[in-house]
Amino acid sequence: MATDNQHTGGSLLFDVLQQHGVQHVFGYPGGAIMPIYDALYDSDVQHFLVRHEQGAAFSAIGYARATGKIGVCLATSGPGATNLITGLADALADSIPIVAITGQVATAAMGSDAFQEIDVFGLSLACTKHSFQVRSVDELEKVLHKAFTIALEGRQGPVLVDIPKDVQLAAVEKLGIHYDQITNKVKLPPADVSKALEVLSQAKKPILYVGGGVGMANALDEVRQFANETGLPCVSTLKGLGAINADNPHYLGMLGMHGTKAANLAVQECDLLVAVGARFDDRVTGKLNEFAPNAKIIHFDIDTAEINKRRTADAAILGDLKINVPLLSMPLNITDWQDKIVTMKKDFAWQYDHPGKGIYAPAVLNEISEKMSENACVTTDVGQHQMWAAQHMSFNEPCNFLTSGGMGTMGFGLPAAIGAQVSRPHDTIIAVTGDGSFMMNVQELSTIKRFQLPVKIVLIDNAKLGMVRQWQDLFFDGRLSETDLSDNPDFLMLANAFDIKSKMITEKDQVSEAVDEMLDHNGPYLLQVKIDAQENVWPLVPPETANDKMMESS
Amino acid sequence: MNHYQLLITVDDKQVVLERILQVTRYRGFLINGMSAVVNTGTQIGTIELQVSSERPIELLVDQINKLIDIKGVKVDNRSSRQSSAQDYLLSTQYK
Ligand SMILES: Cc1ncc(C[n+]2csc(CCOP(=O)(O)OP(=O)(O)O)c2C)c(N)n1
Ligand SMILES: [Mg+2]
Repeated sequence: MATDNQHTGGSLLFDVLQQHGVQHVFGYPGGAIMPIYDALYDSDVQHFLVRHEQGAAFSAIGYARATGKIGVCLATSGPGATNLITGLADALADSIPIVAITGQVATAAMGSDAFQEIDVFGLSLACTKHSFQVRSVDELEKVLHKAFTIALEGRQGPVLVDIPKDVQLAAVEKLGIHYDQITNKVKLPPADVSKALEVLSQAKKPILYVGGGVGMANALDEVRQFANETGLPCVSTLKGLGAINADNPHYLGMLGMHGTKAANLAVQECDLLVAVGARFDDRVTGKLNEFAPNAKIIHFDIDTAEINKRRTADAAILGDLKINVPLLSMPLNITDWQDKIVTMKKDFAWQYDHPGKGIYAPAVLNEISEKMSENACVTTDVGQHQMWAAQHMSFNEPCNFLTSGGMGTMGFGLPAAIGAQVSRPHDTIIAVTGDGSFMMNVQELSTIKRFQLPVKIVLIDNAKLGMVRQWQDLFFDGRLSETDLSDNPDFLMLANAFDIKSKMITEKDQVSEAVDEMLDHNGPYLLQVKIDAQENVWPLVPPETANDKMMESS
Repeated sequence: MNHYQLLITVDDKQVVLERILQVTRYRGFLINGMSAVVNTGTQIGTIELQVSSERPIELLVDQINKLIDIKGVKVDNRSSRQSSAQDYLLSTQYK
């Protein structure tokens, strides 16, 4: 066992993790990471055994997104490491700070096609912000500190540290290197905002376009204050939801493919878009060269490479949003435009009266949103239910809405909820999932069972891969290829097998009571909500179409 | 097709060359030639890349600059027929 400064590579790892405030890790053991798991045995760091390494990566992501702290996951070499890859890709696409530790075969065996050897370092090049392979135990301490620094600094992202088995076993003395916790301290020249001020002051119909960067830069207060002082109407990306307070009278909700009608029409009409921590993603812009065709662009970002990547900026402001956004604050004289925005918001408000006895998913999600506590955190999977959650639930902070945005990874919701629940044990964590997505990481119900995590699972069950079915109906002549899930397992029995209380509802008049029961329940709970298989998500901007040409029904 | 020559200086780490090649391919640039002096035991490595693409070179320069071990990227010669980022964005949409 390690004493004072005397360590093995394995025990040094946990020592450094603790130095960075890590209390929880998610992982799965195996041959090439056994020395690390042996060191874990003596460590104060709490380990959550997942049941598939993809679950470990997503739980680390959920942990990071729910708190802003780094999430850590562990996996063995070979298949353990490859199972992490989807999670790393997800974290890269959404700029989430996680550190993944993989075991590797011993240095002497590396490059010999050894048992469970895969070049995860090579694989990592395309799916991490940065990666390390530690060839000597003497580098380990410094590399680990660097991994934490890189994951958090500037535009955040996943970092992988691959540690060969002999390095984990080797004796080493801790140097006690002191690394400050670094956040967004990228060396950029002070921003020149003169051009942006000029553009902003001339705008008659400006809009604030808010992205996921705002939450990650911890710039909520600054951006909200900026919105208030300027009176700018606001729209949000999927990842930006929660950044603008829902009671802002000029906030129009999400824009893009499944954005609100008001948001998309307003953006198409605006003469200035002030993009804050957003990247003009194709799901936001629709047909790029018809996106906001009359708008000038002011682009705030921490990442130089996002400026002019998809849309040329008339004024670019690089750096920390927290510092830079307030520099543009000024009262604007845009009352006519604001009035128009308020009217559009009213005219195109969501309607929840739905004909028939069947359950209308948007209404259920809206009801949950209204009943859940202020600091409840919702995760989603990917598909129709995800878009309905984004449209019909509201969040007071981005860290309360965790969804796989850039990668759109099914299987995200349940393990992300586990990570969120571990990081925020006293908050309500709700996983909104679909019958397809739920089965992609269903094994993580075991993790919920073992740790008795009180995660609430809302399973929107349309017996379909609904989002793909919707596209097949709309764009592939209704040729429903491999999207039927009518032979789903009995989800209540499944929940029961993991000691999870559950209930199925099929009709509207059951919704209210069931939602109350779920939210009031102390432990984990699965609410299966049966809905009509033919329901579609509206509005929908078809692919390669301008955002004002949205479909509102089929 | 635009042709460009890049001069990249790096913190000499084992894998840095591989990272640059990966980013170059992924961002839509064809590598036409390369000469690299890396892993020499000195701190600094240098890599010269000749690349071609329909895309403006700024897009690649920014992405290479973002790699952790990069010290600097210079565009050496510029082709005569050179499109700006704006022209490019108006003419096509890419992922
Ligand atoms: C890992 C992965 N595989 C495939 C897809 C493509 N895909 C997107 S949505 C979807 C259907 C999701 O079905 P379900 O979870 O039941 O959600 P629903 O749309 O029915 O609400 C599929 C297959 C994906 N996003 N992720
Ligand atoms: Mg479904």
